[in-house]
Amino acid sequence: MKSFTESLLNVRELAPGLGLLFVVLFFTLQTGNFWSPETMTAVSSVASTIAIVAVGVTILMISGEFDLSVGQNFAFTPIVWALLFVSDGINQWISLIAALGLACFVGIINGLVTTIFGIPSFITTLGMFFVLEGLNNLLITGHQLMMFQPSTAMWLLGAQIGNTPFYMPLVWMFVIAFVFWFVLTRLRYGNWTLATGGKVGPAKAMGVATIRVKRINFVLSALLAGLAGCMQFSYLHTVTQGQGQNYELLAITAAVLGGTSLFGGMGTIWGSVIGAYLLATIQIGLVLIGVPGSFYVTFIGVLLVIVVIANVRLGRFGGNQA
Amino acid sequence: MSHGPQNRNSHPTDAAIPVAEKRNEVDRSREPLFELRAISHSYGRNKAIFDVNLLVWPGEVVALVGDNGAGKSTLLKIFAGYLEPTSGSLRFMGEEVRFGTPARARALGIEAVYQDLAIVDQLSLWRNFFLGKEIARKIGPLQVLERRRMRREAETAIAKLGLTRIRSAEQPVWALSGGERQSVAITRAIYFGAKLLLLDEPTAALSVRETRNVLASIHQARDHGLGVLYIDHNMNHVLPVADRIVLLEHGRIVRTIDRGEVGVEELQELIARRAQNAES
Ligand SMILES: Nc1ncnc2c1ncn2[C@@H]1O[C@H](COP(=O)(O)OP(=O)(O)OP(=O)(O)O)[C@@H](O)[C@H]1O
Ligand SMILES: [Mg+2]
Repeated sequence: MKSFTESLLNVRELAPGLGLLFVVLFFTLQTGNFWSPETMTAVSSVASTIAIVAVGVTILMISGEFDLSVGQNFAFTPIVWALLFVSDGINQWISLIAALGLACFVGIINGLVTTIFGIPSFITTLGMFFVLEGLNNLLITGHQLMMFQPSTAMWLLGAQIGNTPFYMPLVWMFVIAFVFWFVLTRLRYGNWTLATGGKVGPAKAMGVATIRVKRINFVLSALLAGLAGCMQFSYLHTVTQGQGQNYELLAITAAVLGGTSLFGGMGTIWGSVIGAYLLATIQIGLVLIGVPGSFYVTFIGVLLVIVVIANVRLGRFGGNQA
Repeated sequence: MSHGPQNRNSHPTDAAIPVAEKRNEVDRSREPLFELRAISHSYGRNKAIFDVNLLVWPGEVVALVGDNGAGKSTLLKIFAGYLEPTSGSLRFMGEEVRFGTPARARALGIEAVYQDLAIVDQLSLWRNFFLGKEIARKIGPLQVLERRRMRREAETAIAKLGLTRIRSAEQPVWALSGGERQSVAITRAIYFGAKLLLLDEPTAALSVRETRNVLASIHQARDHGLGVLYIDHNMNHVLPVADRIVLLEHGRIVRTIDRGEVGVEELQELIARRAQNAES
């Protein structure tokens, strides 16, 4: 039997969890209103959508690939959805499914181009980033993508939960994170994902369909980004082409803060959720203590580098370093 | 099959690795287990295997020897379904097969220990052990891992072969030594191998004690009627276990030596001389 402390130390979410605890404690002491309903709404709504995007990015990173197009997809999918059912009057559900289908299509293209031509996904998805950015600009010109009376679908994706300060994306985040945690740790597919990103040669030699695993994860990443974008639209009732700007980098940052390896093969879903909360807490907390709103990214940048250095030092990315 | 002492080795250099001397003669009138017919393979423009024909019978250990770069590992990867040969055909138990992927070969009972593709360092021991052959409950389209069972079975298998002092199957493999990792890969192959074992320099990183265990396992597999393809540079390991030694040179089979035909020194001399001739 392992001792309790030993199993606790083996929990990969421990370090980011303690980090989050520290940051929350800091802002609780430094501000008078950190636990006000407004702050809770702000933190949880920022964190939830980033976390959902980060979950998809995490499972893809664990299988050894990146997706830089998630931020643009985060705007592209809700823009398509809104255009179809707000402007064109198509049934809200059909148009939602069509929009999410298009998001998956983006993932399929990312996966096929990367695996068929054997180029780094960094490049494939950077290309897709620009393609989607252009499409977003094209699609949104001349359109007012606002919805004053949310439909049922929008209500389901983005409504306030009763009289609480929380909104539906928070619920979806827990559901999605739980499902992906289960997939990654309890299903054969999760084992294959970890192995593919860990070392692709031995995984293939043991009979793992490494190419298929990567392609599926590209689709999952794109789908979650699109879905989270639709939630954002449902919550805000409006979408612009600027929605989700920098989210590709924030999602990777959340994953890395949560302990996901940049080299693949290691990472946890809940770690990325915690990472997203770290980002959101710092963003909102700094505003509360009077730091100019856009300054927080500077802070995040420094934090990211420190965390990676610490992880490398502690051998958390073990096996890849000499 | 009849048991009887045959072809005793009496070379002094064999003394280091004592293995069972009692062995059955290979019955070559039966259907061969595995057959390579006119196999060639190129890596891009670089041709590595030229028109190789090779048979492995059940209950036979075939050793592949030759210089560095002779094409031994390439040939083994073709056996294992990891590489698709550029031309030629494979026959398994009398039927023509095309693997496409190693998964197909494994499904037929072919297991390999690769020289350069042994293990995924980041995965825990049990996840590595069962990788690609996970024990899973099917729930609808989902394959739910039976984690506890796999953990237990991996620990038992490793303890049974006595290869290592690994305590917990939950350890990530990168925390193990090179030899321990190698042992995990070997144990896995023996655990799953039902028909054919492919071992590419399995003892390269192992201690004397573990090497002895591996060679004993090869014997055991052979006695259970498995075919074994065995690659090793150490002729002291090759001679006691091999029924047939196939000498490979620049991607071609240049000589096949039956058990007992030559001694260790003769064999070493043969490989070195051929390599030298080839250079000049
Ligand atoms: N992945 C590869 N891509 C290109 N060429 C390769 C590749 N693998 C092997 N080769 C070439 O094929 C030839 C045979 O290599 P192989 O690995 O089969 O040799 P080997 O007999 O196993 O050697 P060693 O005893 O060093 O393990 C070599 O000339 C090598 O350069
Ligand atoms: Mg080799």
